[in-house]
Amino acid sequence: MEETTRFKRFLKDKNLPTPWCPGCGNGIVLKSTCDALDELDFDVKNTVVVSGIGCAGRSAGFFNLDSVHTAHGRAIPMAEGIKMANNDLNVVVLSGDGDLLGIGGNHLLHATRRNTPITVICFANEIYGMTGGQVSPTSKRGAKTVTTPGGSPDTPIDVQAIVKAHGCFYARTTTFHLKHLKKSIVAGLRHPGFTFIDVICQCIVNNGRRIGFKDGYDMLMYYKKTYKINDQARLLKETEIGITK
Amino acid sequence: MSKPLLQGNQAIVAAAESAGLGFFAGYPITPASEILLELVDRKQIKVVQMEDEIASINAVIGASLAGRKAMTATSGPGFSLMQESIGHAHMMEVPLVIVNVQRVGPGTGMPTFPAQGDIMQSRYGSHGDYCPIVFYPNSVEELYRHTFSAFNAAEESSSPVILLSDGFISHLYETVELKKYPTVNRSKLPLGLGKRHFTGLTHRDYSRPITSDPEVHRALLKRFEKKCETVAKKYNFYEYIENKDADTLLISYGALSRAAYEFKDEYSLFRPIRIFPLIKDLQDIADRYENIIIMEMNLGQYRNQLESVVHQHMDLISLPGGNIDLEEIRTKLDAIKARRRKRLPAAK
Repeated sequence: MEETTRFKRFLKDKNLPTPWCPGCGNGIVLKSTCDALDELDFDVKNTVVVSGIGCAGRSAGFFNLDSVHTAHGRAIPMAEGIKMANNDLNVVVLSGDGDLLGIGGNHLLHATRRNTPITVICFANEIYGMTGGQVSPTSKRGAKTVTTPGGSPDTPIDVQAIVKAHGCFYARTTTFHLKHLKKSIVAGLRHPGFTFIDVICQCIVNNGRRIGFKDGYDMLMYYKKTYKINDQARLLKETEIGITK
Repeated sequence: MSKPLLQGNQAIVAAAESAGLGFFAGYPITPASEILLELVDRKQIKVVQMEDEIASINAVIGASLAGRKAMTATSGPGFSLMQESIGHAHMMEVPLVIVNVQRVGPGTGMPTFPAQGDIMQSRYGSHGDYCPIVFYPNSVEELYRHTFSAFNAAEESSSPVILLSDGFISHLYETVELKKYPTVNRSKLPLGLGKRHFTGLTHRDYSRPITSDPEVHRALLKRFEKKCETVAKKYNFYEYIENKDADTLLISYGALSRAAYEFKDEYSLFRPIRIFPLIKDLQDIADRYENIIIMEMNLGQYRNQLESVVHQHMDLISLPGGNIDLEEIRTKLDAIKARRRKRLPAAK
């Protein structure tokens, strides 16, 4: 198979298309995850995908692997249960920031303490997209959402600090930086402990258009302009992406 | 065969181990903590203390999907936290066992006192329709015996099974014959062998969610119902002590049913062990009696359920609050008897 289409072996053709809106970044993360699985030569016999609830939560259903679609916020503890029961499996969690950091935030806090060797890929789009654009744990202060029409009054969650506090692998990347995105996922999948890959990901329909973006492309260009790659840092600055040391 | 003296919670652990338990996740809670404590040094079982009951039940679901027989144990407050995921596990058809050692609620209630307040929660706690199998033994020996039943029924129905206990029988010490009962092995393939999608969304098979076809959902519920009924038939456990002279049937279960034995000279006794699905034989048994009395350590949760099967009024002796007092029961039984006599027409 051509290298460019090899990722397709990880996808269930008949389950496509995805329910995601035009301009959404989730598909980019989905494909990059497949690319990373392909590069590492993972297969159906050693890989299990787990997801939570929400737009990103639907990802598990598109994988041509055994996959589990958990209750809202519970992808991490279920993935930990799978890994603890069978250490030979590569367990990958794909879910959104609302699922992993909001309703499931307590599990992240403790999974990092346990350093359970699972890979968590977070689709961080700063919004609850599936339910229509409510403020999420990663929404920037001042962000206009349907539940914060006057701007979000809260500090967004510092997930890097949480994950790094317990010495776990943390990478931040975006859906614009495709090579870096794949590289981050590969590095995460190779890492022997708990890994968190924070993918900044555009939601145009329920977030971007309310905070001044024209379309998905506009959001990607914003990522290009804003984020600089730094794979040497111990702790990433707000405008940096990278695989931390 | 040796008959060691075991605490109720220890008996559950001994049986679970013998039934092939491979994974346990739990969170400390009175009066169930001994189960976690007792398990920590078992070599063959992966045991983990999670951050809460929600994490525990989900780790258990994951471990079961990955191929291990899995269990968690908790009490009322933790059981409440698990409810969403219990329904989810029914939807994904994951075999597992949940032990709920009941204590007085609601809220934090009376943590060290026994109760029977989670009857409805065991049956209807999660949202949506599902059909759980629930066992509620009344002795340490039976806790041992029916831990096997719970594991086997879970495997056969490929769904969560609830083993109810209470702070009384779980903390009681009795001798137990550590028999090896037959065990049912896992038939479902573990994760990492297929291309299945396990989802809590409505679905037809393991391929993908189908969320806008009512017929698919109805077919799914029907299959769940049928599966539960078929499996439950093999576990039709109850105790019926007939008293030929009695015109009244006294129904009780769990800890409180131990007190009912004191009244077998005056009443016939009925005690369901598999409390859900309801024991259908009770319909025939109830027909033989003029009066039915049910005793519960709650405000009548099980009576409301049984009346739908028996179609006969049941007098309720409600004893919440964790105290079992024979004199109190006798007084209440006598009061019901006196009330009935008053209602009967006077003999000519």
